[in-house]
Amino acid sequence: MEKFLLRLSDTFARTPNAVLKFKSLVFSGLLVLTALMVLGIYTRTELDMTNESFLNQTDPAMLALNEFRRQFGSDDSVMLVYRAKDDDVFSRNSLLAIQGLTNDLRYWEQLDPANYPESLRGVEVDFAELTHIRRVQSIANLRIQRNEGDTLLSNRLVPAVIPESDHALADIRARALEVEDNLLAFYSADARFGAVMIKTDFGAKPVENYVPAVDVSDVILDDGFVSFDTFSAAESFDPGFDASAEIQEVSFETVNMMDYTAFHVATKAIYQKYSNQFEFYPVGNPPLMEFMLDILSQMQVLGLLMILIFGLLLYILFRSFSAVIWPLVTIALSMTWTWGLTVWFGVTISQMVSLTVLLVFAVGIADCVHVMSGYFSFRRQGKEHHEALSLSYGKTGLAIMITTITTMTGVLALSTSNLQPLQVFGYMSALGVFLAFVFTLVLLPILLDLWHPGAPNAADASLADRIGLRWNSLPTGSKLLIAAVFLAIIFTVLDPWVGAYIALVTLLTYIVVNRQAAILSTIPYLVAHRPWTIMAVFATTFIVCAYGLTQIRIDTNISELTREGSEIRIAYETVDENMAGAMSMMIMIDTKTTDGLYNPQLMQAIDTLQTCINEQYSDRVTRTHSLANIVKDTYQVMSDDNPAYYRVPNDAQMISQLLYLFNSANPEDRRALVSDDYSRSHISLNIYNAGSYEYQQFFTEVSEDIEEVFSPLREEFPELEVYPTGSMALMMRMADEIANSQFSSFSLAFVVISLIMIVTLGSLQGGLLAMVPNLIPALLSFGLMGLLGVPLDSDTILIAPLIIGIAVDDTIHFMTHYRMELIKTGSVSKSLRSTITDVGQAVLFTTMVLGLGFALLSFSDYLGMAKMGFFGSAAIIVALLCDLFLIPAMIMIFKPTFGVKDADTTISFREKLA
Amino acid sequence: MSTSRILWLTSGILLAWLEPWAGWNQALAESLSGLEIMERVEANDRAASDSAFNRMQLSSCRYGVKDNRITCAERPRIKSLESVGKNYGPEGKDTRSVTIVLEPAIERGVGMLTYAYDDSEKDNETWLYLSALGRVKRIASSNSDDDSEPASVFGSEFTTEDTDTGKLDEYSIRILEETTISGRDVWKIEMIPGEEQARKSRYSKVNYYVDKERFVTLRAEMFDQYDTEIKRLLAERVEQVNGVWLARSLTMMNLVSNRLSNMAFLEMYTGVEVEDDFLTTRTLTDVPFRETELENLRLQLD
Repeated sequence: MEKFLLRLSDTFARTPNAVLKFKSLVFSGLLVLTALMVLGIYTRTELDMTNESFLNQTDPAMLALNEFRRQFGSDDSVMLVYRAKDDDVFSRNSLLAIQGLTNDLRYWEQLDPANYPESLRGVEVDFAELTHIRRVQSIANLRIQRNEGDTLLSNRLVPAVIPESDHALADIRARALEVEDNLLAFYSADARFGAVMIKTDFGAKPVENYVPAVDVSDVILDDGFVSFDTFSAAESFDPGFDASAEIQEVSFETVNMMDYTAFHVATKAIYQKYSNQFEFYPVGNPPLMEFMLDILSQMQVLGLLMILIFGLLLYILFRSFSAVIWPLVTIALSMTWTWGLTVWFGVTISQMVSLTVLLVFAVGIADCVHVMSGYFSFRRQGKEHHEALSLSYGKTGLAIMITTITTMTGVLALSTSNLQPLQVFGYMSALGVFLAFVFTLVLLPILLDLWHPGAPNAADASLADRIGLRWNSLPTGSKLLIAAVFLAIIFTVLDPWVGAYIALVTLLTYIVVNRQAAILSTIPYLVAHRPWTIMAVFATTFIVCAYGLTQIRIDTNISELTREGSEIRIAYETVDENMAGAMSMMIMIDTKTTDGLYNPQLMQAIDTLQTCINEQYSDRVTRTHSLANIVKDTYQVMSDDNPAYYRVPNDAQMISQLLYLFNSANPEDRRALVSDDYSRSHISLNIYNAGSYEYQQFFTEVSEDIEEVFSPLREEFPELEVYPTGSMALMMRMADEIANSQFSSFSLAFVVISLIMIVTLGSLQGGLLAMVPNLIPALLSFGLMGLLGVPLDSDTILIAPLIIGIAVDDTIHFMTHYRMELIKTGSVSKSLRSTITDVGQAVLFTTMVLGLGFALLSFSDYLGMAKMGFFGSAAIIVALLCDLFLIPAMIMIFKPTFGVKDADTTISFREKLA
Repeated sequence: MSTSRILWLTSGILLAWLEPWAGWNQALAESLSGLEIMERVEANDRAASDSAFNRMQLSSCRYGVKDNRITCAERPRIKSLESVGKNYGPEGKDTRSVTIVLEPAIERGVGMLTYAYDDSEKDNETWLYLSALGRVKRIASSNSDDDSEPASVFGSEFTTEDTDTGKLDEYSIRILEETTISGRDVWKIEMIPGEEQARKSRYSKVNYYVDKERFVTLRAEMFDQYDTEIKRLLAERVEQVNGVWLARSLTMMNLVSNRLSNMAFLEMYTGVEVEDDFLTTRTLTDVPFRETELENLRLQLD
């Protein structure tokens, strides 16, 4: 095995110069293939950004939701909550304004776009988007039902001409607050808040090229509809039916982020006109997606800044532009090929492609930095270009290969997931990581051959070198003054946190650039002096973080993924505090029996379940609504408004007749609550926004209640199905599935990586020892989240393993190099010292570049991203500390020989420091 | 949806249960404008709805295609109704009508009496009778609503908008072409609602195919705001009843949900003598009285 590894190292050492022999062939070949990849990207890329693409269509939650949607349609709507600035939504001014706004939204065709802004936040205002509006309801057009003697009046709450007298206005207010059905849905109990419900056709609009099957020219109506006898005494005739007739299934247009955003922007242009009277808090998919789009464009800026920081740090650390350009080219090519090959295989790409880009970027940078760090240091030692190349690849090639394998293993483990985009992500990322390795091996030598820095001390010292020299020649006073001015500028111009970040980057870079040699050579002595102290510090951290890990909460909460004080979060909080809650959930009831819902026991069970939910979960549920409410309301109304009749009658015929009026309602409205044959219906629940963890518990509890309430009906309805569903349920299922996927892929990756380490490091002891520093970064970032009470959401949990994978790459480099040195020298001390100085620099550099680069993501307004930026860079930095302190301490204490026979295990640093 | 909404929606239903696609047999007039043709169809409707007695059946189902025929793919839900109506007021523009449910059995005897007024200042009145409860409730709703939405006709795919007549001057109407439907010469007429009418309409436009000889609509196509055809009406069994050409079988297909409702006029008589007494709440509650009066109406026809 040892020989094999040495041979492998030799092969890597020979690779760059072998490649250079066929330079033009390789280069032109790459060029042609790259052009092919670019062609593929432009012509064959298929993006599916919908959330639904995440779950397999056969997943039970998806089946349930599809079933629900087929029956009851889309429930995408905007709840535009407003606060009256005069604290009374029933004041004359508020009523006038809400009337104006309601009419503007309903009859937007009559508005003159010239009176509105052309664009909002860079998105064009296009009123045609408002075609999606299906219905607008507010105080202005609500109807209130009143009983007067034997007459039932159904008049508008607010007359078309708003009254002026205080008395009349007070009367409107009093009448409104009496109606419990509308309370919290259209106005708050204290009348400070109101809401406009905007129903849309998102998700329920047939695809553009939909052609009804009945359009075929020779299709005619069946005779059954016309062959009735006009003089028959029979009350009805049977038009007949044919169960084998083919029913066309309409597909609906999928809605993407841009559709929602464009719609919301147009709505906003209209409601903004009323901001003198109202403060607005819109909730629902359109405003949420507008926020997400903002986040995406912010991510583009952050991404660019990240590349800028990568570039700047690479330049400062290596003091050559070639060290900036060539890694970027190598990475760009890896990414192009990954994307190109994926789409040539005909695979649909999801939004997770951005994570692949991030991973390939990180892995590519690490690969290149290790090679270049070696190359540059050999050059600085005076080695000739080709020799330096060969030495550098010989030193790093094996470790790069192993990190490539381990990272690929980690991401490939995701291919076992049930979520299709995760599978694609797994394969695509594995491909990307592999290609980054290949291009580092094949392309980077050619690029470095094209342009590379000259020998040190040559006259063509780079700009960085010259600036460095000039800086060093300045007196300390001037240096301090410049530093002070610099700090003053960044803290005045920038946000304090951004300022602190820049200051930290500058300070660390300064220290690393000026003191790296000193730091790296001191470390072995420091460790040798106090190995047990270091062990103790890490062990304590380990234990504390392990405890933290037990405290971690896996929880996705839409509004808590945004920063405190952000518009969207305030909107959700306001709606939760003052109105019926921003979220909804459905309980599907399928009796599988025609007219099953007329059954009084079943209807009473529905009513009982609602009462039970309203009483038991009043902290989560604000209101419930179902067919039972309609039955009870009508029963009371038809019985002289006697409250004793506010109940479900014990008679199927009575129920059916009470529903008579409802049956005659608009079929779209009726079908939104109950199926044509009265076999299926649902209870809708308004719920407060909460995290997936809480929802999950709630779902479990409600499912138990359902079982309890409905089980006595099983005899009559053996096929009865009652279950919670809705987009909310789907999201929970997704979060659950992601967490499970990640957990299993994590465990799988851990086992496989351990095996790889055992094989590479030549001993069980060594392999297991190496897994300790590999585990600490993960443990630390998750443990820290647990200790700080930061929930692990589905987005962070997706990205976390990547960052940890990147963090452990350096550890693998460290261990692999150490073992190779041990094989060569046979001395623990020598190997350790050379590993710390040789690999230490590369590890220091990759940590600087990636750790500080990723830290930039902490500034994202999207906490899913910010958390991963912060805890990710923490993991990367901790990995560095493990490499520099923990591993040496462990080696000094346990003296593993990694299967090297007769190794000299004397530690010779202690004496020197003393 | 709250009950108030439903009550309100439904109170307008009975105004328009009579179908407008009937027309007097008129001499063929090639030079008529689109508006004039539709006015002719309309005039016939009004005459047909006065003093009328009707028995109709609504069959609704999901439909499919089998051997090039559009047929129910499931057992249709059947509702059969009996109704009597009469026009009142100086120009005969006010209506009173009563409708009783015959089927399904579970709803048998449920009835509705409606007084509708042309004067928008005057509220329409509806009395609802539930036989299981044995009670009549009066439901009042304003007539002048600018935001009244089209309601379904007894839960079928037909809406009040499809069956309503009047206000032709609020549409822009033009003849698109002259063509044939099932071998009969027709005008294809496009009706686009004006600003006011568009507010209440679910359709951005409707194309009618009107029989040139009989002034009966044989087919209509309803379009949504995206200019997609969402509903289609097919009229069949055009017969002359009491001097009026009528389609006895109307099928409304919802092209999006793939559901259809067939409205079949099993019995349809106009120009019968309807006692004013019959159009009162007594007809709803007093079954023997109702049966006797209906029998009298039938006798007039035999």
